[in-house]
Amino acid sequence: MSLNFTTIEGKSRGYNTLLAILIVLSVAGFVSFMVSYIEGHQLLGSNNLIPWGMPIVVAIYLIGLSAGSLILSSLTYVFGKEEYRPISRVAVFLAIVLIFGAMVGIGLDLGRPEKTWRLFMFFMLNNMRSMFAINTILYGGYFVIGLVYLGSIFAGRSKMTKMMGMIAIGWAALVHMGTGAIFGFVAARPIFYSPLKPFEFLAAAMVSGLALLMIAIVVVFKYTKREYDQKIIFSLSRLLFALIVGLVVIVLIDKLTHVYPPDREATIWLFTGPYAWVFWGLQVGCAYLVPLVLLTHPRYSKSLKGVLAAAILVVIGIFGERFALVIPGTAYPLPFYPGKIEGIWGATGTFPITFVETLMSLGIFTLMGLFFILGLKYMELLPVTETKEENPRPA
Amino acid sequence: MKSKRMGRSKSKKQTGRDLSRRTFLKLSALTGTVLGASHLGGPFSVDADAPSRGNVQAVPKEEWISSSCLNCPARCATRVRTVNGRAVQIVGNPLSHVSDGKTCPRAHIGLQVQYDKERLRVPLKRMNPEKGRNIDPKWAPVSWNQALEEMAKRLKSLRDGKQPQKLLLFYGLNTVSGEDLISRFAEAFGTPNLISGNGLDTEAEKSGNWMADGQYTPCAYDLDHTNYILAFGADLLESAKPLARYLRKWGKMRRENPNRTKVVVVHPRYSLTAAHSDEWVPIQPGTDAALAMAIAHVILSEELYDTTFVKQWTEGFEPYKKLVLSQYSPKAVSSLTGIPSETIERLAREFATTKPALAIRGKEALNWPGGSYTSYAIFCLNALVGSIDVPGGVLYQENPRYRDLPPVEEDEIAKKSKGQPSLDFHGTDKFPAARVVTNQIPESILEGQPYPVEMAIGFSSNFVMSAPGSKRWDEALRKLPYYVHVAPIISEMALYADIVLPATTFMEEWGYDHSPPGSGFAEVKIKQPVVKPRGEVKAAGDILFDLARRLQGSVARSFTGIGDDSKGFVKLRTSGLMAWEEFSKKGVWIGPDYEFRKYKRIFNTPSKKFEFYSGNLKSLYQKMGKKSEDEKTYLPHLEDAKFLGEKEKYPLILLPYQPLLVIESGSQNYPWAQEVFLPMHGIGWGTLVEIHRETASALGLSDGKEVWVESPFHKIKARVKFSEGVYPGVVAMASGQGHYSYGRWQKGIGVNPHELLGADYDRISGQAAFFNTRVKVYKA
Amino acid sequence: MPRWGMVIDLDKCVGCQACSVACKEENNVPHGSPEEQQWKREIYWHKVIAATNGRYPQVSTQVIPMPCMHCDHAPCVTVCPARATYRREDGIVIQNYRRCLGCKYCMVACPYGARSFNYKEQEEEEYHHPDLPPDRSVWGPWPYPTRTHGVVEKCTFCFHRIDKGLKEGKKIGKDVVPACVEACPANARAFGDLDDTGSEVARLLSTRRPIRLREELDTKCKVYYLLK
Repeated sequence: MSLNFTTIEGKSRGYNTLLAILIVLSVAGFVSFMVSYIEGHQLLGSNNLIPWGMPIVVAIYLIGLSAGSLILSSLTYVFGKEEYRPISRVAVFLAIVLIFGAMVGIGLDLGRPEKTWRLFMFFMLNNMRSMFAINTILYGGYFVIGLVYLGSIFAGRSKMTKMMGMIAIGWAALVHMGTGAIFGFVAARPIFYSPLKPFEFLAAAMVSGLALLMIAIVVVFKYTKREYDQKIIFSLSRLLFALIVGLVVIVLIDKLTHVYPPDREATIWLFTGPYAWVFWGLQVGCAYLVPLVLLTHPRYSKSLKGVLAAAILVVIGIFGERFALVIPGTAYPLPFYPGKIEGIWGATGTFPITFVETLMSLGIFTLMGLFFILGLKYMELLPVTETKEENPRPA
Repeated sequence: MKSKRMGRSKSKKQTGRDLSRRTFLKLSALTGTVLGASHLGGPFSVDADAPSRGNVQAVPKEEWISSSCLNCPARCATRVRTVNGRAVQIVGNPLSHVSDGKTCPRAHIGLQVQYDKERLRVPLKRMNPEKGRNIDPKWAPVSWNQALEEMAKRLKSLRDGKQPQKLLLFYGLNTVSGEDLISRFAEAFGTPNLISGNGLDTEAEKSGNWMADGQYTPCAYDLDHTNYILAFGADLLESAKPLARYLRKWGKMRRENPNRTKVVVVHPRYSLTAAHSDEWVPIQPGTDAALAMAIAHVILSEELYDTTFVKQWTEGFEPYKKLVLSQYSPKAVSSLTGIPSETIERLAREFATTKPALAIRGKEALNWPGGSYTSYAIFCLNALVGSIDVPGGVLYQENPRYRDLPPVEEDEIAKKSKGQPSLDFHGTDKFPAARVVTNQIPESILEGQPYPVEMAIGFSSNFVMSAPGSKRWDEALRKLPYYVHVAPIISEMALYADIVLPATTFMEEWGYDHSPPGSGFAEVKIKQPVVKPRGEVKAAGDILFDLARRLQGSVARSFTGIGDDSKGFVKLRTSGLMAWEEFSKKGVWIGPDYEFRKYKRIFNTPSKKFEFYSGNLKSLYQKMGKKSEDEKTYLPHLEDAKFLGEKEKYPLILLPYQPLLVIESGSQNYPWAQEVFLPMHGIGWGTLVEIHRETASALGLSDGKEVWVESPFHKIKARVKFSEGVYPGVVAMASGQGHYSYGRWQKGIGVNPHELLGADYDRISGQAAFFNTRVKVYKA
Repeated sequence: MPRWGMVIDLDKCVGCQACSVACKEENNVPHGSPEEQQWKREIYWHKVIAATNGRYPQVSTQVIPMPCMHCDHAPCVTVCPARATYRREDGIVIQNYRRCLGCKYCMVACPYGARSFNYKEQEEEEYHHPDLPPDRSVWGPWPYPTRTHGVVEKCTFCFHRIDKGLKEGKKIGKDVVPACVEACPANARAFGDLDDTGSEVARLLSTRRPIRLREELDTKCKVYYLLK
């Protein structure tokens, strides 16, 4: 079966409504960013104990999704699994959009976003021992590699594509392991400090990226009235199952290590304190347990709805995992001196959900959604099966 | 054929590539713009503004001016740095010996006092005749002339009606020069009613001293050389005076002297001082006298006392010894005080055998109905171990010898009214040895006894917040027919004023000051304007000169020849000390070195010796016809604590305390003080209800939640803290918050525990009791 | 090259917090408000903490002043991407506001909570120093006259005093010290060159056993404490 790719027409009512909503929300997000830029971060929820807030959570979440998505596209282009070819272009494009959104997210969290260019002055003005600086090389390079990768796919240069694919897998893995290292190498915050963090992040990236990809495929193909072989989704779901198991093992080891001394109080607080519902409910429940059950259930694992439900739960749950790392991870007070530290210095931090910050974070998502559906319209990402139809049906 | 096909597919391919390339370019352009836009700087980058600021920093005019602080009665000498006429830094004056040139944090907060945006600028007149806590006075600005004319008219009418005693003068924290002028005005005007805040402070300490050695002043201590300090309820590092001296000498005592001074703090609360001391001895509130007597018991029974001093320079040792040995054994007082008898014995032995040792008293031990006797009992411990006027012991403060002023001219009216009783009943049967009974005033005003008050003037006083029983003060102030308040800020007392006169802060006025007893030797500090006064403020001294002139007659004449304004007054009074130029430059005059062992001169008692059996009190009582057959009356002893409120209804005892960062000028509107208000609890901007953990959980309270604290008189709400540092059954609360008159940084913040207190007194000295009110605490 | 460090004697310290107030006075550090304290957004270059151990009546509260520790192995220096915070040759960890992006990575990494973020345009007060030398304007390590929001700030060991003092040939540690050391009424703090055997700090470090906070993290911080 030969495969040709095409754009969607993008003229239907549904498409235009979606476009309008995404534009409005993205603009709202931009406006709230400008407001927070002028008024200062007092409008956000972060504070001196919890310096990183929603934009960073969103950013690392998106990096994970992006890296995962890109690695999975390599199933086709590197490992030659033809059955995944119909979805691979979307996978790569999704990865590019997501990393762009992630970089926007990081930029939004900066206190002085106009100095973002400083992040890109590698080796000239930057301190290359900082994982943050190394990561900007990785993210920037990743973005460029993604574009070149997509370009070579469009150009049909299969040899170059294969090479780019291999580079892309390696680089994507490094990207997200690097993101994990940003957290894992910080000794001051006990929940962060672990050499497993890069691997934990990579596993979470694969899991969430794959789940997102599955949802994206099903949704896009459904709304553009395309046919696809459902076997793709089911084989991906089995892969998802394996990846979730891997993630659970790594997270289990990491958290178990942190329950032993030294510095176990912060982890115990994560398990039992006010953010316990994020950890147990979202991370463990939504991302691990329920999807594992669904994916091994005799009936649900064979129904598209069941698999899709598992994927949606994973996507939400991994967001909860990122949140459970960043916010409770910094909310526990620092133990300056043995004993109970009195007053504000010994009190656990609170992270209020503020209107401006929520709008801003939502704006990142909608901006990416905007780019995604624009990409679908203007780029040949979706397959058309020539045996079925001569021309693609309008969406 | 071939070309056609190729053409078709080529065009398709081309279209595809074109589109994708176009999109690719679009995408990268977008990326590039985003990345580059931030580099364009724009209006939010501060770099654009830098060059203009460079011009402003041309040649700043910098000056260092010597002055002194007035955020508490210690009045530390400071040096203020001004740049282009604005004060930007305050440091201690290294020439001062009282605290070796160091200051407490409040000296730095003087900057915020000076530049308080909500300070008074112009005189205000009240337009709303109704007076009350939450009532808007509807201030209208008036001119100085108008305000002072109105005041002068009323004052004149009082004199013309031959009733000058109906003028009541309050004064809180003012310069010593200001106080001198206020008392001169009172004398010339003819009113005996000069009420300072002393009756809320440490009058009981003074009366205890007076009973022993005839000096009605607080003690000074030689902290440089002492090796042991036994502090009874004394917050040495928080509210003792002069505080900066204690802070400096603490460092010296601990690690700069050859012997490390041991400090033991006896206190119902684990205070900041207790946290830094070597031992904290929790004690049942109000029983310090028993502990002191029990320590004396051990010293006497084990013969550890200084026999030479006791034999040569004391009187009344036998009756004292008899009382102590018969009633105050450590075992007897152990259950009363809550201290094990072994501890009492050990402390006594340490105290007596470590030489030289000091027993220091503080408010928590003394401000009780039996406070004078507690003060006496503790003071006697110093005599027992021979720590009177020796290095490392109790010192007798030398006072500066200001140039004498010409006598006040008293006309007939003033002479007559001098004999009138004063409103606070000091020196009468009610409060025989008292010099001022501040907290009696509300009752006197409300009952109109001994006569009604017609007019009152308050100089930086805020007794409605600092005195126990705020409600009575509210009612009394409301009843005053005419009240004028003179202060830099609208304090809570000013809310009841008919006229408010804006005074200068201590950084804008001329004055001379000396610290309360502390160092032994005399030291005078200058106050001079370091910045130009803001608005139309006038110094309190200048206001008095102006008023005196308007009153004419003997009052005006009493105010001539003494300098004509506050600057001249200061110059005149300090002219005997050193040359004016030198004094205003250096800022400090230090008296001669301290002379020890002046036993022939310092005992102002019938026997001219230190008296364990108070001859002074006995002769005073005899004079008043109050003779008592009970010998105990003239000996130090424990007076059983009387509480306000029944134990069944109000099971806990309230312990208000004053943290260091309370600015004692009547305002707390200073963020630097508010931010770090309670360092032991790591919080600011509020008050905590500190209760022993077990007591609190027995009451069913939850840590950190709001609770009501209710006394028989009032109730207030604050957060509770389960504490490990409070005696069981005691509720400790910091004072200094709970302001309601003005202030972005203080209004509505925290609560004032003094509102819960009832009015009670130590009868001998008139000291207001702060610690004998019972309360109950329950969930809010 | 000197290695500036500080010694704080906790036996002499009286917990008065004059150091915290004097630091704010010297460096024009903005004060906070009740809401900002509740949400932990107050700026503190120097803080005083209290650590309680034990139960009544054997309770002990240790009051500890904490400036920036100016660690030799500073975690903040390692993680700053823009090299906005770096250790000078003389050991002071400097914060360069011009380079700082406000990414807050240093705040996450600092084990001593020494850093504060500036969350809003701060009010300018009349008692602020207007007279900083031109080379300390916004081009360099100083946020004055208007502090820009969005950057991280922290204690600087009053490097402006030290540099000025060195230029004028004064003895650092005796004539010229940071504001907190100068303001301490109990003379509990000493500042000087840790490597100079004649300095006060070196002498103090030899008298009693000194400790550093969070020694287990091996930050090699240069603020030592002498215990009671």
